[in-house]
Amino acid sequence: MRRLSGRFRSALVIGLQGIRARKLRTLLSMVSLFLGVLAVVVVQAGASIAERALLANVELTNGIDGTKNLYVPPEPGAASAVLDTVEGRPDATAMIVLPAIIGEPGVRPVNEGAAPFDENWGSSGEICFPDGTCQPNPEPTGQAVEVRLTALTGDVRAFRPYRPYRPRHGQWLDFTTMPAMAPRLVLNLEAAKGFERYRVPAEMRVRGAIAHITPQFVGVIDDGDIQPRAYVRMDELVTWLPVNTLTDPGTGGELQVLMTGSTPVEQVLTSRLTGLGLQVGVQTVDSLERQEDELALIRLVFLAMAGLVLLIGVAGILNVGLATVGERIEEFALRRAVGTPRSLLAGIVLAETLLTGLLTAAAAIGVSVGGLKLVSMMLGDAEPFLQNMQYPWDAGLAGIVAGLIAGILGGFVPALRAARIPIASVMRA
Amino acid sequence: MTVLIDLTGITKVLKGQEQDRTILSGVDLTVRAGESVAIVGRSGSGKSTLLSILGLFDRPDEGSYLLAGQDISRLPERRAAKLRSSHFGFVFQRFFLLKHLTAAQNVAMALVNGQGWLPRRERRARVLEALDQVGIAHLAKNRPARMSGGEQQRVAIARALVRRPVVLLADEPTGALDTETGTAVIEALLAATTRGCGLVLVTHDRDHAARMDRTLDLVDGVLTERVRA
Ligand SMILES: Nc1ncnc2c1ncn2[C@@H]1O[C@H](COP(=O)(O)OP(=O)(O)O)[C@@H](O)[C@H]1O
Ligand SMILES: [Mg+2]
Repeated sequence: MRRLSGRFRSALVIGLQGIRARKLRTLLSMVSLFLGVLAVVVVQAGASIAERALLANVELTNGIDGTKNLYVPPEPGAASAVLDTVEGRPDATAMIVLPAIIGEPGVRPVNEGAAPFDENWGSSGEICFPDGTCQPNPEPTGQAVEVRLTALTGDVRAFRPYRPYRPRHGQWLDFTTMPAMAPRLVLNLEAAKGFERYRVPAEMRVRGAIAHITPQFVGVIDDGDIQPRAYVRMDELVTWLPVNTLTDPGTGGELQVLMTGSTPVEQVLTSRLTGLGLQVGVQTVDSLERQEDELALIRLVFLAMAGLVLLIGVAGILNVGLATVGERIEEFALRRAVGTPRSLLAGIVLAETLLTGLLTAAAAIGVSVGGLKLVSMMLGDAEPFLQNMQYPWDAGLAGIVAGLIAGILGGFVPALRAARIPIASVMRA
Repeated sequence: MTVLIDLTGITKVLKGQEQDRTILSGVDLTVRAGESVAIVGRSGSGKSTLLSILGLFDRPDEGSYLLAGQDISRLPERRAAKLRSSHFGFVFQRFFLLKHLTAAQNVAMALVNGQGWLPRRERRARVLEALDQVGIAHLAKNRPARMSGGEQQRVAIARALVRRPVVLLADEPTGALDTETGTAVIEALLAATTRGCGLVLVTHDRDHAARMDRTLDLVDGVLTERVRA
């Protein structure tokens, strides 16, 4: 114990003396290593952030991992069974998607088929009927916009994390108030773009509705969908659209129920719908699992590149280390002459480079933390997922590991060399 | 007086590319406590080689080496390092001071060698004592660049003395100094023998050799006692 502490203290004193005497060299080692460690940290951080961003996008369209999606075939009677079952339940939300046209009556919408506004989905100019026959649409194209009207029985955000896009654009649907006569609509980004581009009257037509509806717009959200969408409370919609027509094949609605993983609703609904003679399908969202392999590969490729940069850094630290040992040959021979064990000398050289590696890692992590802060400050408005970004701890860990490995790789050969210096030939006059 | 060093039949062969060269061939040498021994000989006769065997930098190919009665002819490096620290002090022709350290730190270097640990206060006392023994305690805080050759060599002697060695080994310590400073260095080395330390001095200087208790000639790899007039 005493011997060990004597060795350790001696090593500490000698090592610090060595670093202090060669500040510039230590700095040069750090510079050569810095880019490599920084590359590893940035790749690791970038991969983690990209993974989060990708997942966030997928969650917008598919739902949070673990969510169950139950798809209900559009048959008469299905809608009322579903709405009955999920009513008042926080662990399940029914969602129906219908085509709706907002704007001048008697004209074809500018984006027929709810196409994105910058894309032409090649409107056929035909109207097709449930019996399969089609005929030319006599209506001219006019000031109207088609959206996918999405009616919800409850706050779908438990399953799909919509973020209010720029808070000044109103609010999300409020499911706690009394239903209003004029349905309140929340638009997605694409729909908001359409309404900004085309001035259209606020009149909404939905097939099967008992009258034209006058909606009120209350907010805009980013749902990751490239098609224009409008979200509406189910109870406000059914004032105008009888429940039994919701899943009428003529209405063209798609009905699905979003549920938490372990809700009894699944069982109840399945048996009720099966009782009606309907086939239901249930899907569980597992985006992370499915993406992980792909992401891991991308991360590996980038890490390999970063490793290459790191290797160049190691070559730099090795070069400086060897030059330093060459310069210190007399010092090491002398230290051996006065009784310093060679293992201690090797340890000191290794410890000096390890310390350099760790210092470099700390610097690289500091720079990447600062960089991330800067990026999230500057781009946070445009890319919401960059707001309040947490620093990925695995990137910090990767940086430290990279620094240590570089220190070991770059210090090992110089350490061996330091241990092998013969005393006799150096001290011979 | 107690025998510190007892060499018998020490042989050292240099492995050459074409043929081996015998540098030492059967060296016998005894050094007692407080005794000073001068070794003289032509350049290249093997004096430094002999010192490096004495100081455990190198091992002999044949012969026996007893240090205070213990056979250390075939010592593993770890124990050799320990003995170098505890039993020997070295002085070379070049001073081998570390230029980024002060005189005191250069002397303390022999104490900070991983062989035991002295508290800072005790270390400082030992260092000052050693510097005082060679008469340059007042230069403790100076760096080598600001000292004369004689002063630097005395720092090196203090470094050799600070562990209170049993034997001092000096390889032409005055070779790089003028006569006057050289004499002062020899005085400092001889002073150590009055405290019971053995001294082996390799020198080309007749006067310095004459001040030792004995003078040995290294000729053709063998030591012979020079009979004094
Ligand atoms: N490392 C070495 N490689 C080759 N020859 C050496 C080496 N060390 C010493 N020698 C040779 O060994 C002989 C003795 O050297 P040395 O002990 O330094 O002599 P001295 O100190 O008496 O001048 C010399 O001829 C020298 O050339
Ligand atoms: Mg010599």
